[in-house]
Amino acid sequence: MISKTRLIGAVEIGTSKVTVLVGELMRGRTLNIVGLGSCPSRGVIKGGVVDYKEASACTHAAFRAAEDGAGSPVDAVYLAQTGAHLEGFYHEASVNVNAADNCVGALDIDTACRLAMAKELPAGRAVVHHIRRPFRLDGRLVPDPEHLVGQRLEVGYWTVHGSEAKIGDHIHVITGFNLRVDELILSSLASGTMVTTPEERQNGVLVLDLGCGTTDFVLYHDGVAYQTGVVPVGGDHFTNDLSLGLRLTRPQAEKLKLRYGSAMLRSRDKHEKVWLNGDYSVGDRQFSRQAIEQITAARARELFEVVRAKLDAAFVPEQTPVGVILTGGAAKMPGMDEAAGKVFGVPGRLGEPASWVADELRDPGFSTPLGLLYFGLNSQAERRPAARRSNGILQSLKRILVAS
Amino acid sequence: MQFDPNHNELPLTHEILTDRSIAIKMVGVGGAGSNAIDRLKMDNLARLQLAVINTDLQALSSSPVQDKVLIGGQVTRGLGTGGDPELGREAAEADREKIAAVVKGCDLVFLLAGLGGGTGGGAAPIVADVATEQGALVIAYVTMPFSFEGGRRLKQAEESLLALRRTCDAVIPLANDVLLQECSDTTGVLAAFAQADAWIGRGVKSIWSMLFRTGLINLDFATLQQVFQSRGGKTLFSLGRGEGPQAVAQAIESIKVCPLLHTTEFSRKADRLLVNIIGGTDLTLPMVNELMTAITEQYGRDSHVIMGAVIDEGMQQQLEVCVIGTTDVGNRNQTPRRPLAAARSVTLAPARTAGEKPAGATAAPSATPDPAPADRTEQNEFSFAEVESRGYFDKTDRNLFEGQDLDVPTYLRKGVKIGV
Repeated sequence: MISKTRLIGAVEIGTSKVTVLVGELMRGRTLNIVGLGSCPSRGVIKGGVVDYKEASACTHAAFRAAEDGAGSPVDAVYLAQTGAHLEGFYHEASVNVNAADNCVGALDIDTACRLAMAKELPAGRAVVHHIRRPFRLDGRLVPDPEHLVGQRLEVGYWTVHGSEAKIGDHIHVITGFNLRVDELILSSLASGTMVTTPEERQNGVLVLDLGCGTTDFVLYHDGVAYQTGVVPVGGDHFTNDLSLGLRLTRPQAEKLKLRYGSAMLRSRDKHEKVWLNGDYSVGDRQFSRQAIEQITAARARELFEVVRAKLDAAFVPEQTPVGVILTGGAAKMPGMDEAAGKVFGVPGRLGEPASWVADELRDPGFSTPLGLLYFGLNSQAERRPAARRSNGILQSLKRILVAS
Repeated sequence: MQFDPNHNELPLTHEILTDRSIAIKMVGVGGAGSNAIDRLKMDNLARLQLAVINTDLQALSSSPVQDKVLIGGQVTRGLGTGGDPELGREAAEADREKIAAVVKGCDLVFLLAGLGGGTGGGAAPIVADVATEQGALVIAYVTMPFSFEGGRRLKQAEESLLALRRTCDAVIPLANDVLLQECSDTTGVLAAFAQADAWIGRGVKSIWSMLFRTGLINLDFATLQQVFQSRGGKTLFSLGRGEGPQAVAQAIESIKVCPLLHTTEFSRKADRLLVNIIGGTDLTLPMVNELMTAITEQYGRDSHVIMGAVIDEGMQQQLEVCVIGTTDVGNRNQTPRRPLAAARSVTLAPARTAGEKPAGATAAPSATPDPAPADRTEQNEFSFAEVESRGYFDKTDRNLFEGQDLDVPTYLRKGVKIGV
């Protein structure tokens, strides 16, 4: 039963930080953000939980902070999902329209959708999302074919699936706090809906969420998410490259990255040196600014190239007129938008959250949890019967996990 | 120094037209260098002249080589440098004319030295400098000290190596430590050093045969010059050998483990690659193809690849491969191509003469100003043991994408040169 007002928690167990946002969902239509908790993450590498105890301790700390702000416990949790284990494939099905007058009925749509989603997964994999691409009725794109006339109805789903064990790890962190995971939402979809407008998604746009441990991407086309993916490379890799290349500890490398890292080669003067600490302390060292930029720019460029390779034929610059929109913590590195634009051959820019977002949540690092709430709100508001998203398999998985 | 064929006044003497041979000299500097020359003397490679340069009169007098030069007589009184590179440098500076006389008229000078000591480390860069002034292409084979010889020697050796990189066209270091790994418990000291010299000998011989044996696909001196057109960078040098039906696979495998290949796994990418294959009459095109594919894939990065193939009847069922790669460091200016010494001797305009430079000048060559400062080349020179670096991600799952581990820094995998 959906009560009049529900408190939902949007949780992102990220590699750098765990963020919990509490949103007050009123009559399934309005959303107020009433609580925020954030805690530096431990036990998470490249988006995957490696140390369960550490990860749940951080998550719980973030939860407590968020619930303190909200004043009451949350009812359900939307959990962001990322990690290298997530994969996707496209599967489509078509049906011949049943009715004598060739008018598409609900049964035709249902059959087509069911067939398109029926592809079996390998053992040990669970579906995270079935994302439907637009219907095609006799070859033309239609948003909703019901009551339209045509011979043949086609539909395809981009199915995102992940390792049961790894998804289970994430869910366990939440269930350990005695909470129910209402929905698993792909990080890329969450941040993607946050930084793009419906018009942009209609025209074609690519969103990259550059996190600390992973880069999640989603390509929108004709108003729907056409393809999603995860590259397990993020801000941590920039830091790691610097620490190996310049022989630094990780905190030192992190500091240099934040201060001087750039995704484009800006420094033309190879003799320009920068200090590690800059406080005249003993042991302070100098580094060539160009060297730092070379290391970070090489990584940034490669990261975009990997994303482009993963999208493969799905990404066509001409069909992505809005360009590449970047979000996530690592997107704050100077030159990222330019580097992305260069690799993809379309304009690149940083994503701006919607105007209603409060100032303290405007950081690109918050786009995923915000998107979770936003996504949740929308999915509740427009819960269409004709399988916008069927979570049947997911529910059964959750049942198994809860029971175990 | 342009060679203009239409210029009638150019004295096209008998000498130019017939004497197309290239003058190659192998010069050993210091104790280790001289010893290496002495050992290599046995090989008797045709047209290869030998010379030794030392500060130690006693060591010099015991050398069987004809062309012996004592340097720094004023500085050390013929007693050696006692392991001080500064003294070695002074000695060489004082006798630049003597050194110039040794390398005069040579097109290609192989410099052999053991770094870490005084004469080898201090004088070798000066010898290289003088040889360059004389217009020769200088390729140095140097041994790096054993680590049991102490940190000071290693440090000196590294400094000398940097100095050499700036004055030579190519420097190929051979880490003695690597030889130590290859030795068994019973290997004698003499045998170990002999092994080091043998490797250097093979290196010299491979270039020698590239130049003097006419091949199916010929490589000449000009090609070699082209490969070494810019200096200061690291040189990738590796030798491989294979025998029997599995010759190709064996050769590829042995190229990878060659001790002369003295760079880390991931920086083994070169801008220009020269590959010379020597095989018997049974050398087939598919074999060449297989070799070249494997080599360019491993070492080339969109590189300019030059290939040569030589047929040697005595090499039936055998293969020898020599890979030379050079990498530009930063935006170094390119030294102009030098004509052969023979041609040069008859053209006018002596741009660089031996006496032009006053004794005691700095080691930097004045004729070829090289703005690349020393620190550009001070990159992880000796991280030989470093096989793979994932740092923070060491204990996590591999992050494979199209055969590459994305956790390993991009610049290492792509061979991006970082000037620290």
